[in-house]
Amino acid sequence: MRNHRRRGLTALATIASLASVSVLAAACGSDGDDSESDGKVKITVEGWRPGDEQGTIDAVNKLADEFMKDNPDIVVEPVEWEWSAETFSTQLAGDTLPTTFRVPFTDTKGLAERQQIADVTEYVNELPYAEEFNPSVLAAATGTDGKIYGLPTDVYGVGLHYNRDLFEEAGLDPDAPPTTWDEVREDADAIAEATGQAGYVQMSANNTGGWMLTTLTYTLGGRLQSEDGTTASVDNPATAEGLQMLHDMRWEDDSMGKNTNFEWGTINEAFAAGKIGMYMSGSDVYNALVTTNQVDPDSYGLAVLPLSDSPDAGVLGGGSVAAVSAKASDEEQSAAVLWNDFYREKKNYDPAAAEADAKVLAESDQPIGTPTLPIFDEPTWQGVQDAIAPYVNVPQDQMSSFREGIFDQSLVPEPASHTQELYAILDAVVQKVLTDENADIAALLADAQSQAQALLDS
Amino acid sequence: MSSLLTRARGSASTLVFLLPMLLVFGLFSWWPIVRSVIMSVQQTNLVTDPEFVGLDNFRAVLEDPLLATAVQNTLWFALLALVFGYPVPLILAVIMSDVRRAKGLYSLLAYLPVVIPPAVAVLLWRFFYDAEPTGVFNSILGKVGLGPVPWLEDPAWAMPSLVIEATWAAAGGTVIIYLAALVSVPPEQYDAAEVDGAGVLGKVWHVTLPHLRGIMLITLILQIIGTAQVFLEPYLFTDGGPNNSTLTVLLLVYRYAFQNTTGGDYGKATALSLMLAVALALLSLVYFRLTRRWSE
Amino acid sequence: MSADESRGITSEYERGRPLFKIGRTLLNGLVLLFLVLVCLGPILWLAKSAITPTQDTLRYPLELWPNGVDWENLRTAWVDIDLKLYFWNTVIIAFGSWAVQMLVAVTGGYALSVLQPRYGRVLYGLVLATMFVPAVVLLVPLYLTVLDMPFTHWNLVNTYWGAFLPAGASAFNIALVKRFFDNLPREVIQAARVDGCGDFRLFWYVVLPMSRPVLGVVSVFAVLAAWKDFIWPLVVLPDPAKQPLSVRLPRLAGVTELDVMMAALLISCALPIAFFLVFQRLFLRGGLDGAVKG
Repeated sequence: MRNHRRRGLTALATIASLASVSVLAAACGSDGDDSESDGKVKITVEGWRPGDEQGTIDAVNKLADEFMKDNPDIVVEPVEWEWSAETFSTQLAGDTLPTTFRVPFTDTKGLAERQQIADVTEYVNELPYAEEFNPSVLAAATGTDGKIYGLPTDVYGVGLHYNRDLFEEAGLDPDAPPTTWDEVREDADAIAEATGQAGYVQMSANNTGGWMLTTLTYTLGGRLQSEDGTTASVDNPATAEGLQMLHDMRWEDDSMGKNTNFEWGTINEAFAAGKIGMYMSGSDVYNALVTTNQVDPDSYGLAVLPLSDSPDAGVLGGGSVAAVSAKASDEEQSAAVLWNDFYREKKNYDPAAAEADAKVLAESDQPIGTPTLPIFDEPTWQGVQDAIAPYVNVPQDQMSSFREGIFDQSLVPEPASHTQELYAILDAVVQKVLTDENADIAALLADAQSQAQALLDS
Repeated sequence: MSSLLTRARGSASTLVFLLPMLLVFGLFSWWPIVRSVIMSVQQTNLVTDPEFVGLDNFRAVLEDPLLATAVQNTLWFALLALVFGYPVPLILAVIMSDVRRAKGLYSLLAYLPVVIPPAVAVLLWRFFYDAEPTGVFNSILGKVGLGPVPWLEDPAWAMPSLVIEATWAAAGGTVIIYLAALVSVPPEQYDAAEVDGAGVLGKVWHVTLPHLRGIMLITLILQIIGTAQVFLEPYLFTDGGPNNSTLTVLLLVYRYAFQNTTGGDYGKATALSLMLAVALALLSLVYFRLTRRWSE
Repeated sequence: MSADESRGITSEYERGRPLFKIGRTLLNGLVLLFLVLVCLGPILWLAKSAITPTQDTLRYPLELWPNGVDWENLRTAWVDIDLKLYFWNTVIIAFGSWAVQMLVAVTGGYALSVLQPRYGRVLYGLVLATMFVPAVVLLVPLYLTVLDMPFTHWNLVNTYWGAFLPAGASAFNIALVKRFFDNLPREVIQAARVDGCGDFRLFWYVVLPMSRPVLGVVSVFAVLAAWKDFIWPLVVLPDPAKQPLSVRLPRLAGVTELDVMMAALLISCALPIAFFLVFQRLFLRGGLDGAVKG
């Protein structure tokens, strides 16, 4: 009896493994491209972020169906995707990238230079609005070779996001957000005192620390790189002033909480959970706060960043480019640009398209009316805003400081060269200041400066 | 029986039996090893053809200011792991070996953390390590009037915090190894020690520990090799921070390959991997020579 | 195993002395308490938090359900954040890796130990040598290999084969099985040979039936290792719909409410714990002889 069972077990194991080997052969053998045999071009497209709610997924799928009705030769499959430098190159090599996806302004030039995203100049130039892009925005999608590597689809300016409930709890007026960094510091202190939550938090990890330190530097009138990206100026008075302020808030006021390791996603999560009074992030982050983190709309407020008196003070602006995988065929590239036009770009240009898009989004309760900045000229942008006005479902009143103030601020692009690597160097500086009370800011900056310059010289 | 016939038949069927091993090892172990040597002298973006660059990758790694940080941190991790992690299983195993009732329960409890998937353990401990006074560990410390400790939020505390979790996760396995070795202590040796008038500690010192000597050396080297490869904890806990205080060699390899926004510097990643592998191979050599001498 | 029952470090005489007895009981009790608090404690805490509302876990981490129990978390984790999908993915990966490891280890061990080809020693040396190459060192070249397999040009990325097959290259398994086969009574094998047993019959009817213990040990460690694996599946399975729990959980941690996340963590370690409890004997005793002396 026992003997039989034993034999049965091992036999089973052997058979299972042998069977699986033949299945492997079959599975891999049939891995041909049946997608194009029926004359259709099949593309996968960035659809939603990990953790997004079902409504977001439904809305994308619905728009994909509509697109396919208009373009019967194209099959569009939206997939979960989020830009991550970490997985990008393996996905590219593994052919597991979607055909088209969004890339931050900061990474577009590097990817183009290494030929990891496709030159789509001819397809972009076929679009009706190709000549009308705001030149500085189009520049972000243009490689050093002058070719166009995608459609710039959304532009943000950094804003100050704040929790109105915590403001009230601390006895502050939620309709009067701080307008100077001193006030930020005072309010943060008041919030921490009264509520026990962190009054002000700043991202510090995964290159976002550098991103936000750059933002802070800009508001104080400093720059981290020369405009042509050849000279680093990390060790400048504005950056030092910003770091000193962070240091004082963290260690003197104790108004930044004890946990300082935050990046884009985790800071959103903590903010939506009511653990953060104020933080800086792109003006469009409200969308993610709603679809991914289910923030309470009533508690949300958005203000412009305080700028110093320096004539160079400005607010960091960035955005994303809808790029196309370098491995896509010509047909796929063309289809991908068409999809991006339909799904992302036309609604920035054509009021009718914007309205149609808003309608679909409204049906699945997706946020409409989150502040963006013009990709074309301002009248075009205004026309689109007017068209979607009836569908707006985000608390625009609570964003009025930003909506009214942003056009008076000068938008400064991110450092031009080796941006993410520069951010990585600055991450360590920010982390040091936030985790070590005795951090020597001058020495940190001098060291970071030499690293940053070495980067540009290499 | 014709020996010729059996040999002919034998060698063919031997190959059949060896085939799965040859295929799997060849494709997924030997070839990648060879390939990493090739890649370490190449530069590739995975799209266009790789380019031969000689020893440039090695030079670039050696010139990276982060390398020294990473090596130091890895050594620091290994040292802390020895201080915390090495004696704990030994002490536990010696005491547990003398437990008479419910011995199985002791082993069961000791081994339990080993079966928890590391990703789960790290996510759980990350919450325990909340630096606010209301965090789990800080609440416990608060009850006895200590803390709050900044745990992962302080360059000095971050590494010890990782080591504590790593020790928690791995100690059970070592305890079980020691326990197995202790089963074979000849009872006569204890009897003899008692005749010589040895107390309990005397017996532990003169009989138990000498008996474990060989195993202790093996676990020591294995632990050093293991800690040299620490990756998951710094990756999931702190991503190398704060201020690179938990950046380990393997995390640096990973960053070169997968986090570098210049698109994956596989040449540098494999170059550093190879240097690490050579260091570990030397260590293994020492290990073999030592174990041979000890087991003689 | 019975030797330690007859005597340990302490003698029966010593254990009989009253003061000594108290001290020893105290020490053993303290160790037990330590093990319960340190090893079991975090898991019990996790189980508690999995059914506690977020705010309670945040504000009163050490209290037992100040505002009641929320069983809904478990359902939310299983259904709403789709843990069931990742759970089954993990099961598939564990089963497949187990099957591949068994096949490779048993056939390879048999060939090396029993059939003993002339080049066997060299081959075994090559297998053992891979033990000293850290897994992460191979991450990149292995990934590129799986991406475009030699000769066939199959791309195993985003297929479970990409997770199963590399798991088979475990020198530890081969060593364990070979050593076990080495210790099988040679007379039995000789006798079978004399009876005219060929290599396959010998394998199937003589060697395999005698190797149940080692197969059990290889199996439990194979399944557990597959369940715990993180970095390789992270790289080889970029498609979220195919990922196992280990890879998915850190991704979800940033976007999932705390109470649901705790429930997800609990679910993720429930199966390995149950598996361990069922096969504890294999875990706690079986693997050791090979591991220690190998």
